[in-house]
Amino acid sequence: MADIKGYDMPDELYYHKDHSWARVEGTRVTVGMNDFFQKESGDIVFVDLPEEEEDVEQGEVCGKIQSRKWIGKLVAPVSGEIVEINEELEEDTSLVNKDPYGEGWILVIEAEDLDSELGNLMQGEALVEFIDAELKRAEEERAGA
Amino acid sequence: MTPYWRLFKNISRPVSAAEGLAVDDTLPQSVALNNSAPILHLYTFVPSVNVGKYQDIEAALRLDRCRARGIAFSRRSTGGGTVIMGPDVVALGLGINFDYPGLGRGVGGIFESLSLVLITALEKIGIQACFQPKNDLEVAGRKIAGLSAASGVGKSLLFHTSLLVEFDIDLMTDIMNTPLVKIRDKGYNCFSRRMTTVRRELGRDISVAEVTGAIERAFQDKFNIRLQEDEPDAWESKTIQAFIKERYENPEWIFSHKHPRARMGIGQIKSKAGLLEIYLSLSGGAIENVVITGDFFSTSENVRRLENALKWTSARKESIEQNLASVWQKDMIYGLDVPTLTAAVLAAKENQLRV
Repeated sequence: MADIKGYDMPDELYYHKDHSWARVEGTRVTVGMNDFFQKESGDIVFVDLPEEEEDVEQGEVCGKIQSRKWIGKLVAPVSGEIVEINEELEEDTSLVNKDPYGEGWILVIEAEDLDSELGNLMQGEALVEFIDAELKRAEEERAGA
Repeated sequence: MTPYWRLFKNISRPVSAAEGLAVDDTLPQSVALNNSAPILHLYTFVPSVNVGKYQDIEAALRLDRCRARGIAFSRRSTGGGTVIMGPDVVALGLGINFDYPGLGRGVGGIFESLSLVLITALEKIGIQACFQPKNDLEVAGRKIAGLSAASGVGKSLLFHTSLLVEFDIDLMTDIMNTPLVKIRDKGYNCFSRRMTTVRRELGRDISVAEVTGAIERAFQDKFNIRLQEDEPDAWESKTIQAFIKERYENPEWIFSHKHPRARMGIGQIKSKAGLLEIYLSLSGGAIENVVITGDFFSTSENVRRLENALKWTSARKESIEQNLASVWQKDMIYGLDVPTLTAAVLAAKENQLRV
């Protein structure tokens, strides 16, 4: 389990720059939103889930997430077919906040081309640099405000 | 050279709900796909009402009253609750990339930095407003503007604001479907104590044009840009027409059923502070609206601060407690504490009924 500047970012997961995460088990890829996203967004009040059997491309918007009065995007970290969605979220969206890597998972994709696509996602040092850059930009904006 | 933004300004005639919302939806698209500079859209609507993207319109509005009064109704593409628009409410749409210099980072940062622009605009006409985290602008505890937003294509986002120059509370109480509006609190409609307008604050008949002028100057100051009045180009006009057809004239969009269940509950508890009465509107597992009333001692400003801390947050006990504690100050409600107030909100949640 990695702690990057106070954000819980488990080592074994892959991360998209739009804050979705991917847990790879064979060709099944479980997808959710990372700890950085849930802490920055605050309470998630609605998750607009896609339909099962829909095909998605890596980087494509496949769902919407409302926190307060903001509607953000769920971006597919890999390409493939959506084979499962977390129906528990229809009853309790707070799972995304409470347990973003466990009960707050959002969907499962049967991946098409992990060999070429996983390299586009972040892990390890690249993830640390990404979080650093996000935080640095925030500090710069605050300083310039 | 000072960078320029485009200004779509339409205050000489109120626009239809479909046109106004379709133009707004086109703004982030044009920034992302049409190589446009940021676009600020300032306008007014014909008398109309719109609900948030994931609201249940039939639960939120009395559609028969809307139809009888000729009030157009629609669903916008940004989050939040019901907004009543008209010729005396300034509508603002902004299409911009989220990494634009000067814009705060993350959801909170974006709302805060754009709120500061609107606070500056109100200052220019003589009103001291403040940002009520996370989504409203207030004057002495009364809401004067509501904010909402949605991410768009790529890095773009759409930011929406409605700024009340004048407001018809009787219309609101007639067309909104929530029992919250029927609450009478010591002789005053609860909304008249929780909302204000530019004209009420200034005590004079200021024009919409004067208000939009102040907004333009505030954007130019904050982002060090100049606004250049413009019209939608051919690509944008085509996109606007497509949104009108696909969304705002399409019953499938307006009556979308992809929304959480709407419920309403009332909770009463006797406390050391007096009787506490909570009116709660729930949207799925989230608190859409809450009114705290009773015979306790407090100020409108403090009550509204507590209510605002709960709006559009999770209705879980831990979340309610945490959000109330985040704004709580000793004796905000004299003799009351966070656990007791939380218990009253939970009592309202337990009594919930389908709207």
